[in-house]
Amino acid sequence: MVQPVAEVVEKPAEKPGDVKIEQKVEVTKEEKPVAEKITAGHVHLSGCTGCLVSLADNYEGLFKLLDDYVDWVYDLTLADVRHVPEMDVAFVEGSVCLNQDLAVEELRETRKNSKIVVALGGCACYGNVTRFGRGGQWNQPSHEAFLPIGDVIDVDLYIPGCAPTPQQILHVAVMAYLLLKGSDEQKELATSYLKPLMDLAKRGTEACGCDLMFDVINQSLCMGCGLCAASCPVRAIDMVFGKPQIDTSLCIKCGACYAQCPRSFLNMDVINEFEGITELVAAAMGTGGE
Amino acid sequence: MSKVVEISPTTRHEGHTKLVLKVNDEGIIERGDWLSLTPVRGIEKLAIGKSMHQVPKISSRVCGICPVAHTLAGIEAMEASICCEIPEDAYLLRVILQCANRLHSHALHNILTLPDMYLPGTDTHINPFTPEEPVRTVARRIQKLREIGQTVGEIAGGEPIHPSNPRVGGMYKNITPRAKAKLYDLAKEGAVLAREQMEFMITVLKDWENREAASVANGPEVAKTEKFGYHDQGYMAVDPLYGNSSLDVDQRWFPERWTEVRPWDWYMGEMEITMDDPNYPIGGTTPAGAMAWPQMEACTGVPLYDGVPVEVGPRARLSIFRNYDHKGAMGLQIARQMEYPDCLYSMIEAIDALDTSGSVLADEIPQGDGSLGWCANEAPRGTDVHLAKVKDGKVAWYSLLVPTTWNFPTCSRALEGAPWQLAEVIVRAYDPCVSCATHMLVVDESKKVVAQKLVQ
Amino acid sequence: MVLGNYKQCVSARATDRSILARAQDGGIVTQLFAFALDEGIIDGAIVAGQGEQPWQPEPIVATTKQELFAAQGTRYNICPNMALLKEATRSYGLDKVGVVGTPCQMQAVRKAQLYPVGMRYVGDKIALAVGIFCMENFPYQGFEAMTEDFCNVKLESAAKMDIGKGKYSVYTERGAVSQMPLKHTLKFVQPGCHVCLDYVANLADVSTGSVGSPDGWSTVFVRTKNGDDIWAKAMAAGCFETKPIEEVKPGLELVTKLATDKITKNQKHVDERATFGVRADGSGKALRSYL
Ligand SMILES: Cc1cc2nc3c(=O)[nH]c(=O)nc-3n(C[C@H](O)[C@H](O)[C@H](O)COP(=O)(O)OP(=O)(O)OC[C@H]3O[C@@H](n4cnc5c(N)ncnc54)[C@H](O)[C@@H]3O)c2cc1C
Ligand code: SF4
Ligand code: SF4
Ligand code: SF4
Ligand code: SF4
Repeated sequence: MVQPVAEVVEKPAEKPGDVKIEQKVEVTKEEKPVAEKITAGHVHLSGCTGCLVSLADNYEGLFKLLDDYVDWVYDLTLADVRHVPEMDVAFVEGSVCLNQDLAVEELRETRKNSKIVVALGGCACYGNVTRFGRGGQWNQPSHEAFLPIGDVIDVDLYIPGCAPTPQQILHVAVMAYLLLKGSDEQKELATSYLKPLMDLAKRGTEACGCDLMFDVINQSLCMGCGLCAASCPVRAIDMVFGKPQIDTSLCIKCGACYAQCPRSFLNMDVINEFEGITELVAAAMGTGGE
Repeated sequence: MSKVVEISPTTRHEGHTKLVLKVNDEGIIERGDWLSLTPVRGIEKLAIGKSMHQVPKISSRVCGICPVAHTLAGIEAMEASICCEIPEDAYLLRVILQCANRLHSHALHNILTLPDMYLPGTDTHINPFTPEEPVRTVARRIQKLREIGQTVGEIAGGEPIHPSNPRVGGMYKNITPRAKAKLYDLAKEGAVLAREQMEFMITVLKDWENREAASVANGPEVAKTEKFGYHDQGYMAVDPLYGNSSLDVDQRWFPERWTEVRPWDWYMGEMEITMDDPNYPIGGTTPAGAMAWPQMEACTGVPLYDGVPVEVGPRARLSIFRNYDHKGAMGLQIARQMEYPDCLYSMIEAIDALDTSGSVLADEIPQGDGSLGWCANEAPRGTDVHLAKVKDGKVAWYSLLVPTTWNFPTCSRALEGAPWQLAEVIVRAYDPCVSCATHMLVVDESKKVVAQKLVQ
Repeated sequence: MVLGNYKQCVSARATDRSILARAQDGGIVTQLFAFALDEGIIDGAIVAGQGEQPWQPEPIVATTKQELFAAQGTRYNICPNMALLKEATRSYGLDKVGVVGTPCQMQAVRKAQLYPVGMRYVGDKIALAVGIFCMENFPYQGFEAMTEDFCNVKLESAAKMDIGKGKYSVYTERGAVSQMPLKHTLKFVQPGCHVCLDYVANLADVSTGSVGSPDGWSTVFVRTKNGDDIWAKAMAAGCFETKPIEEVKPGLELVTKLATDKITKNQKHVDERATFGVRADGSGKALRSYL
């Protein structure tokens, strides 16, 4: 018990018996206790650490996650490992500055060493505010090209938003765990759950409030629910006569509105199971009421 | 003959930095450079021409740990430039938000600090993530304090990470009486926990200070030096809690006393790394033979106040406003803990004073004539000064003097005289939050010349 | 999946006469929220308040029964209730949020819970989601044209609108009724409704509508564990008068028929979209399906 990571790594990877995740799940009947943890880490590029703070904002759930499901093997902010190790899931925060070799190298290293690369947050997915960067500032005036990581490496999964929410990060972490260590049924559920977020990664590296115009309203798909307005972190969206009005001079290009819109994706096979999945996550986190 | 050792990247703080250290035969640092390697996103430059409403939303994204400081400093710099007074209740909501953010940030910093410390009475480093007691109880309390801070941030600020409620001219929305009651309950609960946490942390920090020797992570024990983490630079703070701006009658920050030098004039030149330690935890130091060039690599400039680097942050605030006097790395750490209770007491005061039916948006929001306005916000890590010129609703000029940038050169000085193996402990005492320190600008040529003279 | 998962289905109406007097149908929505408010099951509910224009709804957070009562009745134009979903938990300080909405809005609620991309700490605070049946909705201007042009009633003097039995009906303050056939309203339907595959709010905790039950009564599906729990408590408290759905006319048969019609029609539309507007090289995406 010397310091966090060494301790975590040396710990026998077993799951305490008090986690009743399998019994609680309606969507799966698997009884076999899941034995190992997955390995995951946080790679910090040109981001603000808000994404990581958001992960920490699972509060007690963070401990549960680290106790039972995830060995957190890399994270300059929280642990003392200096170079990107091999891991199952890499959460990459921030865009990548093309004008700094170190950053590009670290990102490539991350891709090489990880099974699943998650673009965590608007900056990693879409560039977010760094899309506005134009260089010209001391002490590195040549730092002007900040790209979403998907422009440099293949990315498996997107978690848009600024900051991404603690719950979305938790859901992805739990599903990634089920995908890699769960029973066949759990794997299937996890695959269906993660698919739309994987599709987002394929959709491209640009996002803006304009997506609501281009890909929802221009497609005659908007029905005026208002969820986009609720999800915008800079209050750039007003509902005017039942449809979103986007103030593009406020939008920071985080991608939350489009991904949150029920008309961007609505995978009914998963959404229909909302009760079961909510219970599953709660049970996994030890917060299930009963 | 002194040797050069490099620790890169440093860990357990936010962002990318490294340490380039010249050490003597005993391994004591003769000169240390601590520098940011985080790419410069160039917020000051990208702001030009954008609307005064959007720019503070962007500057919030400078840092996700103290986004409230950057949001408020940005907004209030704009308000100062356009001469817009905000309603009292908007101000109170901002104060509540400020307290909430400091609470969460100090608590988060405890997690980063503890692994260097020992369980008092033992030689065991504290791993904040161990499920074992007594650590788990402390870790839970830290998360509870953060939860309280962040939840208050949600209610008063719309979001705790990058608050959405503050805007130029005040706030988008006042809160309801129900929300006010909830805030009050949260603050009351937090007050008790904060005091407990403060006491625990001070015990642990004093325990460290009284040890003869210490180690970083699972590295070897190294004898400590007497004045560990001392420096002779001054302090700068504008308020014990909130801030000060050019709209205030009683101004406590003076742009004319601020100058800035580029890293070229401050950091060390190119040199070869001549010493390494593959066993330094975890991953070893940079192999000997590699080159380091702090002048060229540093991503931040060096701001000066009255011609010298100054320390900002908890100790600076307590020294200036409360006569606190405890030097060294642990003196700074202890000062931070001493700010815990006030986060809650000041929050409660502001909640009490808040009128939930009051207007929170100025009747008129001028568009600005290009005058200079500034706001100095006391962020968790120290004075965060934003300066802006707004003309016709657009930002014509913007500059940020963020806390960690003030602290980089001061902390570099504080490394002198310490064993190099413990250098990271000093760095972490300053609670570096490096992504903020990525946008510095030399404003005006004449000032730069003055600055260079003063340094020589 | 035409009627979704449900634990029970009944025909019901509120026992509180004052609620019933102002209700669109059986007063289910308002009675349920009022009960939940009294019991502390919710701290408040997002309902359709009065917007700037006559009969234009605007989402509000109601935390008193007076506010709930004032928001009763159906406004046949878009009310973006989800826009307040986060704010209810923020400046309003609600820990337990009630929300009413159309089937598509219930989909939004569940997506916000399962994929909370921009909805930090909101999902866990949704305590009661009540869905209302919906065949289609209208933009305000379409609704205005239907009421003022086709039915010849100024919006200001309308007392109630209703859709049923193939007609759009407007009742005036003085008791007159003016009607138009539903087929003429098609032109005014908001286009987003044409891809909608849910009639009876399958994803709500409790969903309700007039179809299937006699006038003044509502058809109620109790769907989730949470919904079942709250419904049972409300029943025990005597909030509702109920009849088994099998005993009322026209009953579930009509609900099933309308739901099937809606889904069939819209599924066809969805399928058409997949190819509509595709450029010769297959690169166009106009009106593609979102599913
Ligand atoms: C656009 C639309 C189409 C509908 N189509 C059908 C249908 O085809 N078949 C059917 O059986 N029922 C339909 N309904 C539902 C029906 O009109 C009643 O709303 C429902 O039966 C509830 O009545 P109640 O007496 O229980 O509730 P009440 O006590 O009258 O309360 C109704 C609640 O709905 C809210 N509300 C009113 N307008 C809107 C709106 N535009 N959007 C969201 N919430 C609103 C009110 O604020 C109130 O809280 C439709 C409703 C709407 C809004
Ligand atoms: S997405 Fe937002 S929170 Fe995350 S790094 Fe970017 S600015 Fe920060
Ligand atoms: S409109 Fe808002 S939510 Fe959408 S991309 Fe822009 S900032 Fe993000
Ligand atoms: S979330 Fe999508 S469907 Fe809902 S209002 Fe916004 S754009 Fe329209
Ligand atoms: S028809 Fe469907 S999309 Fe249209 S308002 Fe009703 S539920 Fe929403």
